[in-house]
Amino acid sequence: MAEVRASALSAVGSAKRAGSGGLETLGIALLLGVAGYAALFIAPTERTMGLIQRIFYFHVPSAWTGFVAFAITFVSSIAYLRTRSPKWDWLAVSAAEIGVGFISVMLITGPIWAKPVWGIWWTWDARLTSTFVLWLLYVCYLLLRTLVDEPERRAVLSAVFGIFAAFDVPFVYFSIWFFRTQHPQPVIGAGGYLDPVMLRVLLLCWAALLGVLAILLRQRYRLEALRYEVGELRVEAARRGELG
Amino acid sequence: MKNLNSLMAAYLSVWAIFFVYQFTVSRRLAKLQDEVERLKGALKR
Amino acid sequence: MTLFRPAAVLLGKELRTEFRTRELLAATVVFVLMVLVLFSFTFDPTTAESKRFGPGLLWLALLFAGSLMLHPSFTREQANDTLAALRMSPIDPFSILVAKIVANCCFLLMAETLLLPVFAALYNLSLLPVLGRLACVLILGTIALSTIGTTFSAISSQARMRELLLPLLLLPLLAPALIASTEATVGLLENPPALSLTWIGVLVAFDVIFLTVTWLFGEYLLEE
Repeated sequence: MAEVRASALSAVGSAKRAGSGGLETLGIALLLGVAGYAALFIAPTERTMGLIQRIFYFHVPSAWTGFVAFAITFVSSIAYLRTRSPKWDWLAVSAAEIGVGFISVMLITGPIWAKPVWGIWWTWDARLTSTFVLWLLYVCYLLLRTLVDEPERRAVLSAVFGIFAAFDVPFVYFSIWFFRTQHPQPVIGAGGYLDPVMLRVLLLCWAALLGVLAILLRQRYRLEALRYEVGELRVEAARRGELG
Repeated sequence: MKNLNSLMAAYLSVWAIFFVYQFTVSRRLAKLQDEVERLKGALKR
Repeated sequence: MTLFRPAAVLLGKELRTEFRTRELLAATVVFVLMVLVLFSFTFDPTTAESKRFGPGLLWLALLFAGSLMLHPSFTREQANDTLAALRMSPIDPFSILVAKIVANCCFLLMAETLLLPVFAALYNLSLLPVLGRLACVLILGTIALSTIGTTFSAISSQARMRELLLPLLLLPLLAPALIASTEATVGLLENPPALSLTWIGVLVAFDVIFLTVTWLFGEYLLEE
């Protein structure tokens, strides 16, 4: 147990040698800038929908990146339960929070795309509905965390919930998809053929978003690590206050 | 160009979400770093 | 087996505790009936609509009822810290969970048995010809509700706002089971009744996987 705390504190040490965040902001701006440029100027214009279709290059990869983030939460949750090292809990919550952000981007760009093109803000099609449930699931993960005060209990309880949530995701997507094949609804977003240049821009945007995920993860992880150190320092100060 | 407004709205909201998040995290990070320095100083005495 | 005997003993204890105060069963049944009545005000069901929407309402009402009455599973252990005593005995911690899951499942099935005739009458559905298959769907769906519900009540009992937290955690997670149970039931009410193997398969997979996950990770919830 002592080694776990020691290694957690040394992780905080390296986390502290952080700048004021300027470098990270620049990194994000660069990545989003490259992706945005490609999506707006390199990708060919889609025939039927025109300009607005370019939302697709952020709408779809945001969801994929959200999945990657939640996968990180899943693995970190298991690792935490096995090792009880707080570092895994820091990674789990960071990935969950940022994952919710990416899914929010997908859920916001969806309606903005849908309204001008199909005339409706929302349709209960399989993809959007499943992603909405996914969003709710991980928002509940974050809510659970705010409702448990003791750090180790919080880590354990949210790790178990995180594992349940991760196993639920395939069920959510499959059951909503199969439900929709029985009761079809209008579908937002194009399916089928994708122009090779479009595909490349799409993958480029995904890579850029993965980069943004990495940068944000690192920042959020540092934040969690520092919180831990503040907690430890406060305990130490209180202890000394009693003795001294 | 039709739908330019919607396109801009979408792109701006995407950028806004990421930058606001980055900004809030950095600010909290800086505040915590100050707190750590303060606590460490207090403990040295 | 260090799992079976203690689980059986604990199951007996759980069932006896619940039967001693049958008010929970009564409250659950009345709650579901209330929900069904209120739903009838929000839309006026014709016969065709009853067949289409009735099962969904029943399962939804059961889901709400379950998320409200699965609480006592763990909160009643907290009063005298009986959970600590159980943990210290040399039994597999999973047997504590299994006993509660099975007990809650029996409890819910009993409530459903009482509700089914009333539900059939209210929505003018003929359930007798499909009773056997319906029972299968009910059992599988109830296992899902009980497994996740009991496990999550272990989580919520250790958090603040526990009465709100349990439904909050439960509802998104049980969405696939809700869809599967509802669709399977609707299929049985069609002419001719059809038992959808896909949805049954989803329920079976759901139950198996989440019982396994509870087996693998549930014990962490019972710690100090």
